[in-house]
Amino acid sequence: MNTLIRSENIVKSFGEGDEKRNVLDGVSLEINQGEFVAVMGPSGSGKSTLLYALSGMDNVDRGKVIFDGADLSSIKENELADLRRTKMGFIFQQPTLLKNLNILDNIILPSMRNGSKNGAQLTEKAKLLMENTGLAGLENRDITQASGGQLQRVGICRALMGNPKIIFGDEPTGALNSTSANEIMTILSQIHQSGVTILLVTHDVKVAAKTGRVLFILDGKIAGEYLPGDYDETRDNLKAREESLTTWLSEMKF
Amino acid sequence: MYSRLLRNDILKSKAITLTTMLFVAAAAMLVALAAILVVNLAGAIDTLMTQAKTPHFMQMHAGELDRARLAAFAEQNEMVADFQAVEFLNMDGAQFLFAAPGSAGRSLADSVQDNGFSVQSEKFDFLLDLDGNVITVLDGEIYIPIAYMQDGTATVGDTLTVAGKSFTIAGVLRDSQMQPLLSSSKRFLVSQNDFAALQQFGSMEYLIEFRLHDLENLGAFEAAYTAAGLESNGPTLTYALFRMFNGLSDGLMIAVILLISALVIAIAFLCIRFTLLAKIEDDYREIGVMKAIGLRVADIKKIYLTKYVAIAALGSLLGYGLSFVFRDVLLANIRLYMGESENASLAPLLGVASVALVFLAISAYVNSVLGQFRKISPAEAVRFGVSQEKSGGARRFRLSMNKLLGVNVFLGVKDVLARKSLYATMLAVLVLAAFIIIVPQNLHNTIASKSFITYMGVGDSDMRIDIQQTDHISEKAAEIATAMEYDPSISRFVVLTTQTFSVKLDDGSEERLKVELGDHSVFPLAYATGRAPTAENEIALSVLNASELGKTVGDSITLLINEREITLTVCGTYSDVTNGGKTAKAVFSDGSADTMWSVITAELTDPSLVDEKISEYAGKFAYAKVSDIDEFIQQTYGGTIKAIGKAAYAAVGVALALTVLITLLFMRMLVAKDRYAIAVMKAFGFTNSDIQAQYIARSGFVLSLGILLGTLLANILGEALAGAVIASFGAASFKFIVNPAFAYLLSPLLMAGVVLAATVFGTLDAGQIKISENIKE
Repeated sequence: MNTLIRSENIVKSFGEGDEKRNVLDGVSLEINQGEFVAVMGPSGSGKSTLLYALSGMDNVDRGKVIFDGADLSSIKENELADLRRTKMGFIFQQPTLLKNLNILDNIILPSMRNGSKNGAQLTEKAKLLMENTGLAGLENRDITQASGGQLQRVGICRALMGNPKIIFGDEPTGALNSTSANEIMTILSQIHQSGVTILLVTHDVKVAAKTGRVLFILDGKIAGEYLPGDYDETRDNLKAREESLTTWLSEMKF
Repeated sequence: MYSRLLRNDILKSKAITLTTMLFVAAAAMLVALAAILVVNLAGAIDTLMTQAKTPHFMQMHAGELDRARLAAFAEQNEMVADFQAVEFLNMDGAQFLFAAPGSAGRSLADSVQDNGFSVQSEKFDFLLDLDGNVITVLDGEIYIPIAYMQDGTATVGDTLTVAGKSFTIAGVLRDSQMQPLLSSSKRFLVSQNDFAALQQFGSMEYLIEFRLHDLENLGAFEAAYTAAGLESNGPTLTYALFRMFNGLSDGLMIAVILLISALVIAIAFLCIRFTLLAKIEDDYREIGVMKAIGLRVADIKKIYLTKYVAIAALGSLLGYGLSFVFRDVLLANIRLYMGESENASLAPLLGVASVALVFLAISAYVNSVLGQFRKISPAEAVRFGVSQEKSGGARRFRLSMNKLLGVNVFLGVKDVLARKSLYATMLAVLVLAAFIIIVPQNLHNTIASKSFITYMGVGDSDMRIDIQQTDHISEKAAEIATAMEYDPSISRFVVLTTQTFSVKLDDGSEERLKVELGDHSVFPLAYATGRAPTAENEIALSVLNASELGKTVGDSITLLINEREITLTVCGTYSDVTNGGKTAKAVFSDGSADTMWSVITAELTDPSLVDEKISEYAGKFAYAKVSDIDEFIQQTYGGTIKAIGKAAYAAVGVALALTVLITLLFMRMLVAKDRYAIAVMKAFGFTNSDIQAQYIARSGFVLSLGILLGTLLANILGEALAGAVIASFGAASFKFIVNPAFAYLLSPLLMAGVVLAATVFGTLDAGQIKISENIKE
């Protein structure tokens, strides 16, 4: 399997002087193409910081992040922007949509960055994605006229517009009720099955149990790795995976 | 609690708080200055005219004077309190030779003023010294008009030699009627003996002056004087006109200060509105929460009001303080020309009152903007944290439907449409700036253009020859006309002759009317209404005459010509600053009435020959006064034109500085507010230059609208506003003479340049915004 992301001993600290603290303290890892990986850990352990470092949204103080062959610390700001637009997709805990734009415009916005010539094609693609994620008919709604679950699906559609190699999710179900969270995870699983790599941060065992690999981070270091095995989407299989993951997590003192 | 909130808030937005306060201070200072100046000017004019006992009615007259008949008229007329006929010895400017001890002399040869001598009056119309006392002049001494000291022609102690006789300049004099630049004569004061000695070198004119018991009877008195058929070979002037002339130049300054203060107040209001709206947008959720937990709107308002009341109070105090620094400089001219005002003590009080007014207006304005709190729905604010009000226009403007604009331009324009009320502030500043740049330039361009004099009763020509105060005027005019006929360097000329006729009024009474006869199409005037007379039965009236006679275009007017009643139709009205503003123009010819004066205007084939031609004609026709029209404009209005020109350039500078300042503040504030949206866009692959392009699109869009509206407004409202200024020059109607390269090319380019530079500079921070810091959960 090809390596999509490789981090080498990355360090990221916050604060000044006595209050300076390494939030990431020498993290080395690899994410392969086509993987579905969850990062777990207690609050303040560095989960989100790791996600932002691996996606190039934040600089690291030391170490290297290689994304699809490119060293993120040495490429220019604009190349990084291009990478985000063409190879990466992001889903955040809150919907992070622009309030001035309606739902459809929010979805097509990043893809329109290269010019509006193929606008009609992009609109078609967005509508198809909306249909697949249960958003059909909401195209011209303002973002204030949609529910949290719907908005999170809008975020997913936007992330998929550029045919990304990877989707980063920062607690994508964290602000949703269980029904909406399940719907989102189902969509993410489908996306993963279509060949897209997914790396998400979560504190929810039910979410992590649906992934192929779980990394546990503590005090800025990778403290452990858990492989739940193949997920066959049956209720029993899911239950068993959740239980074994919970057991492992308790061993990790989570 | 309020003071803590206030301190935190001010610390967070130091730049905008300081700027707002400075604008309030500037507004308060200007308003206070205007108030102080108005009180002082009005008071000083009154004081001067009271001390000098300015005549209520004055008829200038050249020619024979029947003193006994005039005295009898004054005796019999019950309205008259006092009467005198003052002699004014008119002398050619070249005869005046000023010299400072040990230096070469300067003459008044180039002066377009009628310079002459008077002795101190006995009863009224006194010439005063700078302390306001009636001057007693000794033999060998002379007092000169203040203007000649002001322009550096002479100073006290210098020698003035007139027709070979030397005088020592003993001081300057305040002349309540001839002092203003617009008055075309200037009086020098000498002793009775010296006056007698000079008499043979000049030509005598008379100032027939009356003081009335009651100034309200002036109209009736004027009619009685005219009806009596007394001396009237010259302009007629009244107390009200003297008052206006005296107030003109300083009044203009006050008008300009008031105009600027109105603009500065508007800008202060805009700054406040802008920061307040931005703050409300920021605090939307908090305001909702405060409402939700039961705080009254008045309580919430108080939190915000505190800050602006504090800013307004500090700014007003600062402004009032600053007004003390500048007021002496601005009062210097009034003090010099008119002396101290009697009600000067009122000025600081009025200053305080006007500053208080500024303070109250700002507080009331803030209160009204905060009225928006009532519209905020707590549920909506708490749930969404943003206002749900959106205009239909912005909603229909969709990225998915957009085929024309690049995505960054689209996002910029969309943002402006979606947050109209916020951008309206920037738009208003840009409209104001365009207005401030264009209007003074147009005004300057208009009054500096040679054709401007056509709005003031003078045709656009190169040379003007006046024949008056002499015999056989018609023959002399014909003699000059013949010479011009054969002069190849004169391309065209016209002889206009002024005669006096009786007008029959509707009530049967008669009034005298000076009518200028001749071909008025050669050097046409700009007519306020209608056109120049072309047929024998047509007459055009000056605006002043038309309003006094109650005539408009199309009305009839009956003149008594050669004892026959002739009815003429009023074909036009025009503004006139010559001859006291009361003139008329017609084309008929009549040999019955005496010619009062003749004016020959000429245009040269080569205008650069004007000096040569003037000396040629002046030498050949000693009885005529030959003058250069450009020189006339230069000396009468040159100072004002130059001042307005300077002010116009200053206005460009101020407006551009203002534009930069406000755009910079606005952009920095927007970037601060939009950090989240910027982070989101960066997270999805938008580059720093994309973000900057969006901000440039926003400013560009607002800028285009601003320039368009500003230019339109400048040409419509600006013309009306400038019209008010120009009316004070004596022109009733006018059209802007626009320099299109400046108004439609250079000024938009300048504005675009500074706005774009300020936008780029103001949004540099956008590049520093970190996605992780602004988006991380």
